[in-house]
Amino acid sequence: MSVKELRPSGPPPSSGGSRPSADGPLTKLNKAIYRQAPEVFDNLRPRALFHNIYKSVYRTTAFPKTERERSEAFFNSFLLHIQPAKIEKHALRFTYTFGLGLLSTYLFLLLTISGLLLMFVYVPSVQDAYGRMQDLHSSVSFGYILRGMHFWSANAMIAVVFFHMCRVFYTGAYKAPREFNWVIGVILMVLTLILGFTGYLLPWDQLAFWAITVGAGIAGKANWISDNINALPHPPGAPTVPPLGDLTRWALLGSDTVGQEALIRFYVLHVAILPVIITLFIVYHMWRIRKDGGISSPKESPE
Amino acid sequence: MKRIREEEIFPRNPNKTYGLMELVKGSSTRVDRGPDDMVSSWPHLLIREAALFAACFAVILALSVFKPAPLELEANPQKPPNPAKAPWYFLGLQELVAYDAFWGGLGIPGLVVIGLMAIPYLDRHHSGIGRWFAPSRRMACALWTGYVVIVVVLIIIGQYFRGPNWAWYTPWNMPPEVQ
Ligand code: HEM
Repeated sequence: MSVKELRPSGPPPSSGGSRPSADGPLTKLNKAIYRQAPEVFDNLRPRALFHNIYKSVYRTTAFPKTERERSEAFFNSFLLHIQPAKIEKHALRFTYTFGLGLLSTYLFLLLTISGLLLMFVYVPSVQDAYGRMQDLHSSVSFGYILRGMHFWSANAMIAVVFFHMCRVFYTGAYKAPREFNWVIGVILMVLTLILGFTGYLLPWDQLAFWAITVGAGIAGKANWISDNINALPHPPGAPTVPPLGDLTRWALLGSDTVGQEALIRFYVLHVAILPVIITLFIVYHMWRIRKDGGISSPKESPE
Repeated sequence: MKRIREEEIFPRNPNKTYGLMELVKGSSTRVDRGPDDMVSSWPHLLIREAALFAACFAVILALSVFKPAPLELEANPQKPPNPAKAPWYFLGLQELVAYDAFWGGLGIPGLVVIGLMAIPYLDRHHSGIGRWFAPSRRMACALWTGYVVIVVVLIIIGQYFRGPNWAWYTPWNMPPEVQ
């Protein structure tokens, strides 16, 4: 079978004699590519390129219209897939949750971001810490806003987590099958308070220093436990319980008084250890919400 | 949903346990307001979450700009303020400590935490879930309100009614050096 040539065959028109190819190397490359893989040029068109990159990252349309696409928008998104694709209308009513759990999450997010930025300025040393705080209010651009965001988010988070706990109680949302998520919640409340307490020392101002001195003094009161155990009748020569309060206070402060050792301990707890722990608990809290069948609903206990 | 045809166009096959029952127009029964009252999270949940974040960010930013965080004088171990107050969320504890150091600072708070964790295992009534202040839970709600009132009152006392040496003061007689 012979393929019919479409171009007129035969010798080229002899108008100017055979012209030697004037193509530069780039044009030659261009033509070679076009001959081998003509679609490359189509793929480089901005519309197609953008579409293909978008599709490779996110497989769902940005503005889903059908029910199926709407579900996929949640299923296929890394951030959204932890939430259900369909949700009961009751769970959406603002006056049911007042968004308090989500608000706690948002405040924690703001705290993490502003806290990481503050770490570029802050130095956990008794010589430098206070000066760095003053820098935030004078020489660092927007430094006082950064510090303010961390300060206000922290105070708001403590209040909001407490309100969230009240919401959960008043709506009976701790009842089966959500008992354990309530327990996780109590741990989250305690962790939030401890995070606030460890952060309180870091500015190294009078307020910070003396509040932590008072707090560490309270930890020392655990001596009461060991003292009372040791006061029980016991055989002579039996080992005594070490002073639990002193041990805790020393573990916390690294010394008898609040100083450099205490500052570095509170710092590491505040910027590394506790945030990681609370993040793990928050993630577990959210996972359990799904596994416990989503947000509580009046359908669960018909009255 | 509209029935398209009434007559039986797919006669039953007695040899099969299944069969085509009818053809209906429209998409699945769950669309928008199905029998179980579900809606798509996109956009109903997403838009609420985005709005809440915007509001949260705006409020925190406004506070940061207009009410900067406090910074006192540099820490001075020689100069204890009188009284040295804990952060507001621990003022309730500090108030209790004034009565008994161990029980106020560790004993009662420890029992409160254990008690809170025990609530869902003590209250096993499967009633009033999903409603605010369900009438069947009047007692539980009253107890909780009592707890909240105690927490709030202790904090208010510590913040506004305690002066030098942790003595009682009224806010209008408070010595000016007490923060
Ligand atoms: C860092 C602190 C916390 C975070 C980030 C958090 C986050 C959340 C979120 C996002 C929800 C979804 C419903 C909503 O927004 O209300 C939720 C529900 C829930 N939370 Fe928390 N929470 C925290 C602390 C607590 C505390 C202190 C408790 C109780 C002691 C608690 C117990 C629960 C329970 C039982 C649910 C399920 C409620 C329901 O099904 O109606 N959480 N939490």
